Amino acid sequence: MRFLGFLACTLFAGSVFSQNTIKIGVITDRVGVSKPYSEPATEGVVFGADEINRKGGVLGRKIELLIEDDQSRPDISAALARKLIDQDVVFILSVSLSPATQQQQTVTMEAKVPQMTPMNSADYLTTQLQNPYFWQTGPLGSVQGATLLAHARSKNLKRVALITDNSDLGQAIGKAFKGALEKANIQIVADEVVARGATTAMPQMQKIRAANPEAMFLAGVLTAENVLIFRAYKELGVKFPIHSSYNLSVPIYETVAKGLIDGITFVDAYDPDKPEVKAFVAAYRKAMGKDPQNLHGYGYDGIHLIADAIRRAGSTDKEKIREAMQKTDYAGVMGKKGMKYTFPEGKRAGFDPDGMVVRVYEKDKQGRVVYVGQK
Amino acid sequence: MQDFLELAVSATASGCVYGLIALAYLLMIRPTGIINFAVGEWAMVAAFGGYVLLTQHELPYPLGMGIVLAFMLLVGWVTERIAVRPLVEKGAGVLAPILALLGVLVITREIISVSFPPDPLPVPFAVDIQYYKYFVIGITLAVFVAAWLFFEKTVWGRSFEAVALNRRAAALMGINLSRVTAFSFAGGAAVAGLGGLLVAPNISAHYLMGVPLAIQGFTALVIGGVGRVEGALLGGLLLAFAEQFTIRYAPIPGGFAQGVPLLFLMIFLIMRPTGLLKARA
Repeated sequence: MRFLGFLACTLFAGSVFSQNTIKIGVITDRVGVSKPYSEPATEGVVFGADEINRKGGVLGRKIELLIEDDQSRPDISAALARKLIDQDVVFILSVSLSPATQQQQTVTMEAKVPQMTPMNSADYLTTQLQNPYFWQTGPLGSVQGATLLAHARSKNLKRVALITDNSDLGQAIGKAFKGALEKANIQIVADEVVARGATTAMPQMQKIRAANPEAMFLAGVLTAENVLIFRAYKELGVKFPIHSSYNLSVPIYETVAKGLIDGITFVDAYDPDKPEVKAFVAAYRKAMGKDPQNLHGYGYDGIHLIADAIRRAGSTDKEKIREAMQKTDYAGVMGKKGMKYTFPEGKRAGFDPDGMVVRVYEKDKQGRVVYVGQK
Repeated sequence: MQDFLELAVSATASGCVYGLIALAYLLMIRPTGIINFAVGEWAMVAAFGGYVLLTQHELPYPLGMGIVLAFMLLVGWVTERIAVRPLVEKGAGVLAPILALLGVLVITREIISVSFPPDPLPVPFAVDIQYYKYFVIGITLAVFVAAWLFFEKTVWGRSFEAVALNRRAAALMGINLSRVTAFSFAGGAAVAGLGGLLVAPNISAHYLMGVPLAIQGFTALVIGGVGRVEGALLGGLLLAFAEQFTIRYAPIPGGFAQGVPLLFLMIFLIMRPTGLLKARA
């Protein structure tokens, strides 16, 4: 009897607690392929939520995060979206892999629960499904390619090499690069692939050296395989510049490719000179005792975008939140100076196509911005 | 010509790593018949050991390497104790330990995945990067010579061979089967670990590195044959040369060149399923 009383008390206390918080579901990847991206992004979400709560929360209520791990597997992610909705979340924030996020949409669309991804880059997320409850605020894959190419055009390149890996994303980005290069009448003199699990990229880089390009485009997204490419580049003593996909913006290269990356340019959505970034870095360092990465910024922007929409909606009614989210006009950490997230004309991909930048590695550090936008 | 020589050295070094993984398989298959796909994860564990001892604690290379290999001996021995011996003692067939070892593979990877940061981690080169390939080749040759001498020239090695040829007869001759099994797993783990440690400076230590190594090593083993120690090295070298020279010289698009070694594997399985080198009768 006493036990039942205790149980009733805890259940009651639990429900009071949950009425006072605004529950937001986070679907991340703790052990799968996208863990290197998802983990820092999730840390950014948690930091952002703490910051919002310290400043009084949203509509006078605290944010409570319910975090689930889908291992980037579409077959698991939809069930987790359902689980979160059963736990009364008002918004789902997806930070694992694009295909998993896509699968979650089948649930959020039917349940009419708002969902957003602050970092997935697949172009199809907002075009394949007409789901008015879903938004994407990370830079699209096509924008990355266009930005990198705009930078290349400014260099008047005529003959380039292309190298990628055999992962899904690496192939997709490689294909996008290829299309964009061909459209710009830049000749691709070598087109190489490094397989996941390779122990060297020597043969591919020899072939590229023999083709004598003016520059090399790197579309691969597998860190270990990219390091093989840089090592072969150095061993073979070639000098042409390397322009890389967005993958090189992951700061791990500063340690794992030490001494190999000086001068490589890469697309990023993060400008260290931007005032919002400086404020974010200072606050994060103070609270967490370490510097954030650009990837933390995605999660941080994501939770702030959601909080902003709920504030403007004035309630946790999902329909009102949906309307408010669609009218977003918010400047965050990510994007070039002055960029704002907006969803004009009913679009649900909110990253400004001119919002990306090209940065350069200076020694072993991610350095200054050398090019902005895609014009 | 310069390209050809550069690539030959590079392929030899890669082939040595494949050969070591193949040897790890072989050490366990010969006396027990058990194919242990967890060798790739063992290589990964050793690579992370290299990261902890050599990168984080900056131990001198020979000391770090010694500790890692001693640890791998222990890992192999413990694995045999908990995942193989109980099944064998209960009279299970060969398939049961193979499946149990697949479980070990998953558990090992998940432990590493949750214990370390998600990104690839650097492991230092033992010698200057220019000479590192020769270092890999030298160490591998030493290991293969030692393994060959062990099997051919020592009573212990002969007892392994005896178990491989006929378990029951070997047991009747007074050879301790469970001790041979335990040693073969400990040795297999150490050799796989050595492969992982040697390849880690190039491919970095990361939690998904095990399966590709397990596949490459297995392919090398199929090509070389499970009958003789030197077959593992030969298979590894052939595989690496096929991979790298196809990519460099075959006039086919980059994406397709990856498939050629697999084609090679299929042809071998059809034409010569016992591998290149046959076991002595």
